[in-house]
Amino acid sequence: MRNHLGIVLMAGLITAQIFWNACASRKSEPVKQKEFSAVDAHVKNGEKAFMTHCQKCHPGGEAGLGPALNSNPAPQFVKRFQMRHGLGVMPSFTKEEISKGDLKDISAYLKAWKKY
Amino acid sequence: MSTFRGFVLLCLCLSLSSCYRMKTSKGGGEIGTVPGRSISVADILLPQGYKIELVAKDLTFPSEVTFDASGNLYVIETGYCYGEVWTEPKLMKIDAAGNKSVIAKGAKNGPWNGVVFHNNNFYVSEGGALEGGKILKISPAGEISTLAENLPSIGDHHTNNLVVKDGYIYFGQGTATNSGVVGPDNASFGWLERRKDFHDIPCGDLVLTGQNYESPNVLTEDPNDKVLTGAFSSFGTQTVPGQVITGRVPCTGAILRVPLDGGKMEMVSWGLRNPFGLAIAPDGKIYTTENAYDDRGSRPVWGAGDVLWEVKQGVWYGWPDFSEGRPVRNDEEFKAPAHHEVAPLIQKLPNEPPKPVAVLGVHSSSNGFDFSTNAQFGYKGEAFIAQFGDMAPGVGKVLSPVGFKVVRVDTETGVIRDFAVNKGKRNGPASWLRSGGLERPVSVKFDPQGQALYVVDFGILKMTRQGPVPQQNTGVIWKISKM
Repeated sequence: MRNHLGIVLMAGLITAQIFWNACASRKSEPVKQKEFSAVDAHVKNGEKAFMTHCQKCHPGGEAGLGPALNSNPAPQFVKRFQMRHGLGVMPSFTKEEISKGDLKDISAYLKAWKKY
Repeated sequence: MSTFRGFVLLCLCLSLSSCYRMKTSKGGGEIGTVPGRSISVADILLPQGYKIELVAKDLTFPSEVTFDASGNLYVIETGYCYGEVWTEPKLMKIDAAGNKSVIAKGAKNGPWNGVVFHNNNFYVSEGGALEGGKILKISPAGEISTLAENLPSIGDHHTNNLVVKDGYIYFGQGTATNSGVVGPDNASFGWLERRKDFHDIPCGDLVLTGQNYESPNVLTEDPNDKVLTGAFSSFGTQTVPGQVITGRVPCTGAILRVPLDGGKMEMVSWGLRNPFGLAIAPDGKIYTTENAYDDRGSRPVWGAGDVLWEVKQGVWYGWPDFSEGRPVRNDEEFKAPAHHEVAPLIQKLPNEPPKPVAVLGVHSSSNGFDFSTNAQFGYKGEAFIAQFGDMAPGVGKVLSPVGFKVVRVDTETGVIRDFAVNKGKRNGPASWLRSGGLERPVSVKFDPQGQALYVVDFGILKMTRQGPVPQQNTGVIWKISKM
């Protein structure tokens, strides 16, 4: 039973990983055929902060120098942790570089962009 | 298999699949077999309400278009492409049916990177990869005269786009190297063998830290021969702490200007790595796009985004110790994987670099751009930027193609949005997607009424470990307008 559970768990998670890597992550205005507008001040500020710090490696949340964010299923608190502490080649951003408020606003923007 | 062993295997799978260093580069030019250039406007996506048409095709390395006083369309072909491919630089008129007629031909000193029409003459920036850059004046009959020459363009980057303002021709001048130090990567470009003494030249005096870099001596046959090279010095020349490099004009990595009829050259701003695009906003301010550092050479810099800058008189923008207005020195953000943090080259900064208008994709090669001036077209006041696309693996590794599209930038907020992209599950050039869409947009220009945006598409540029392999007769001009 334990063996089966392990295999099922492993297969499920590998499938999820493959799906995560392969599923479409494109979110731009020409692709969606509608304009993105920030719903509130936090999303608007988050978009500006994203453009300053994140866009260059994840353009439009798609893969580029770094991996795609649009199709990344990790919860926002994990992404904020990664931004603050870094992981692998991803650099960490101090509170002086990205304030706590801006970090939360980037999360708000990423959520809004993901739903767009 | 136990649950524990399965979990360990799973963790290994996940960690390997997400480890940057284990992943191979997936640049847009890494295409294997080169397909022929097919054209299909249906393969290009635009915001709702816009359409795209083919204007001309079968061009060889087109770089920019301009319009004469009657609104006729002209294009220049560079006559040179990375990979040391030399063709004939040309200025050509394009008629309504897409037919080309040659107005003028240049010498073997391309790339012709920029063209503007002003007061019944064409002004062309000659990249000068072989003999040094030039600013040329070309009459409508095709007579060429030289307004400026011997620009320091025989390195990695050349003499770039130009604009005319207040009786001056403003133009971008690229740097000789990636980050200030001549190294084996410059031999790969092809110029170090030709000009062993060439190096970057600052516009103003710089005091060096004396940092030197060891590399194989690519100028000798002995594989064990090593040399030490310092900043702003020729290959194999060391520097010492406190050494002053005397600035002069013309310099590398700068915006320069010359009077419309020729004359004394002046520095406008400096400390820009490769200021390729140059355009005047509706409010009269000049902006430039800077192609930022690559992950290559003796002093690689990683994760440096291309930048849209407002050009300010006399200001130093930070190259080779800053990127995007922030220090690259001793910062993990710019440290290339498997390398040390980037050491500073300059002891005393000329000034604190300004903040960018917008930071664009790393290796996107954000090049020629123009501003929308017509509310009917839309996005009035925004900058439309052609993104040539990554040249991975030569510039460093990317996980997915970067660029290969046209973006628009709100210069007030720095927010970047896609404007013209290829259809498909992933972003990339048409040759990579095996479609008939955009390949490598190198510049955009609005027509004189601001009603249509012309996109100059350089054509197919395959990238290999040995270097670029450009494909002649694959360049295209597109036209985007409201439906």
